[in-house]
Amino acid sequence: MTKNPAKMNPSKAAFGEIRHHYWEWIIATYLFLGGLGGGIFGITAIVNFFVYPDFAAVIQPIMAWPCFLAIMCLGLGCVFLVLDLGQPLVFYRTFIKSTSVICWGARVLSVCLIFGFVWFLSFIPWDWFAPVANFLAPARDVCLALAGVAGLCVVLYTGIFLSSLKAHAFWATPALPVLFTISALSTACAAIALSIGWWPVDQAFMDESYVMDLVYAGDPMAQTAYLTYAAVTEVKHLLHTVDVILVVCEIVVLLVMVLSFLGAGNKTANQAAHRWVHGSYALVFWVGMIAIGLVIPELMYVFAAESILSTVVAPIMVLIGGCILRFLVVYSDDRAPLPGEKLYYGRLVGDDAEFLHKWKYGENLF
Amino acid sequence: MTRYCMVIDQRRCIGCHSCTVACRTWNELPNDIIYNAVMSEGVEGSWPNVHRNWLPTLCMHCEKPACVPCCPTGASQQDDDGVVWIEYNKCMACLACVNACPYGMRDKSNLRPRLHRFVQKCTFCRDHRAMEPDKEPYCVATCHQKARIFGDLDDPESEVSKLVGSVETVRLLEDLGTGPQIYYIPNLGGTR
Repeated sequence: MTKNPAKMNPSKAAFGEIRHHYWEWIIATYLFLGGLGGGIFGITAIVNFFVYPDFAAVIQPIMAWPCFLAIMCLGLGCVFLVLDLGQPLVFYRTFIKSTSVICWGARVLSVCLIFGFVWFLSFIPWDWFAPVANFLAPARDVCLALAGVAGLCVVLYTGIFLSSLKAHAFWATPALPVLFTISALSTACAAIALSIGWWPVDQAFMDESYVMDLVYAGDPMAQTAYLTYAAVTEVKHLLHTVDVILVVCEIVVLLVMVLSFLGAGNKTANQAAHRWVHGSYALVFWVGMIAIGLVIPELMYVFAAESILSTVVAPIMVLIGGCILRFLVVYSDDRAPLPGEKLYYGRLVGDDAEFLHKWKYGENLF
Repeated sequence: MTRYCMVIDQRRCIGCHSCTVACRTWNELPNDIIYNAVMSEGVEGSWPNVHRNWLPTLCMHCEKPACVPCCPTGASQQDDDGVVWIEYNKCMACLACVNACPYGMRDKSNLRPRLHRFVQKCTFCRDHRAMEPDKEPYCVATCHQKARIFGDLDDPESEVSKLVGSVETVRLLEDLGTGPQIYYIPNLGGTR
């Protein structure tokens, strides 16, 4: 009958200090992956239709691999989302009621995933797959447009989803959807810049001297090769420029949100902001989020342009920063306590299985 | 129209937790779910002028519940008489409503089998009252201090509408705009 003091400590139990901590790392990861995947499709559509409208035949193939990553992100996000449910097998119930933000999120997520996947299928170069790919090829523009619009809606929804829950003072602010949108687009830029121009594009086209040799030799592939090489370089350059701007915006919005809560939020939001700025999250916030996730990549983009620092290291750091942001926000789900609530739930045994088992004489009393 | 509400007289509550026990017994709640906790911030004041204030809680059955519009499945719903309840076989425990409720009055039990969890909350004993009309919720029926008073707010002859109309009552977290329908008659107590 030795009691483990750590196990008997009520603060370790499910009720903990106060019953508010329901969404954990699964939802945080999902919000990151959803924003990333939706952002990749949105930016691909914008680049294809508005930035280089005349070069769709070149832009779309080089974007195929980033969009494949986006499909993986959204798919993994969906798996996380379904696993987090109390009843994963009936996840389709989420599509039912239109007043719910989650319902609309699930709808746009499905649209983005389905049309994005169809769009990607039309770029698969395997010989045996050619009939399907050729059949889908005429629908490329429509699919990308739908996936892009739906992707941008997914990006918006991840922020609106949290900010519509006004019980949590730190989430219920208009700055949160703005912050999540900027962060999602910035991580999407970073992910595209990292992965653009891979499979199914011929990797030899990424080598400048090889492409120039083709051009000088008057090879029939020369035009495609040169355009592909030029498009990859141009889009990478464009996305780095966009990311420079987005990261600055993200720093501003993040600091505005956190510091305004620190100075003027209500008591609950104020506590959360104190935790971010000089409490238990301070290290993660200042070092992980602000320094590693935003400021250092920004400096790399600006002062180390065209080096490995700005093409590989900085995008990875931006992705890490985006992930940390979702975790910090999801874990800042403070709710205004009722009088005496902390005391009450702190004294309950919670889900201490060993204690409950003894208390129930080993029977399941349901 | 019927508009069910509850008036809780904090002057009468002695913190015996009978309502919690009655609720758990009737609703056969798992061990990690409590619909109607009786909270207290502890003893206040200095001897001999001490008092202890009890706050019996339950679902606030709000006029504009935060938990109903956010439910993607339509399981969380509100009747015309104001009772907010959950249709268990529509719920998939996404916890949107649990996160939306500013009062923390909803929860899912982690003691149920992994694939069969759903969100539960106080329903003013909706099922019990459907079987036996004119009955009160169990927490009201069991309260020997008559600290919990249940009734129809729209009926001018009912005890609750007379109390709400005549005594000064407060509601919890009213500034959130949810319009909670649990009215507290505060216990002013001794010297603070």
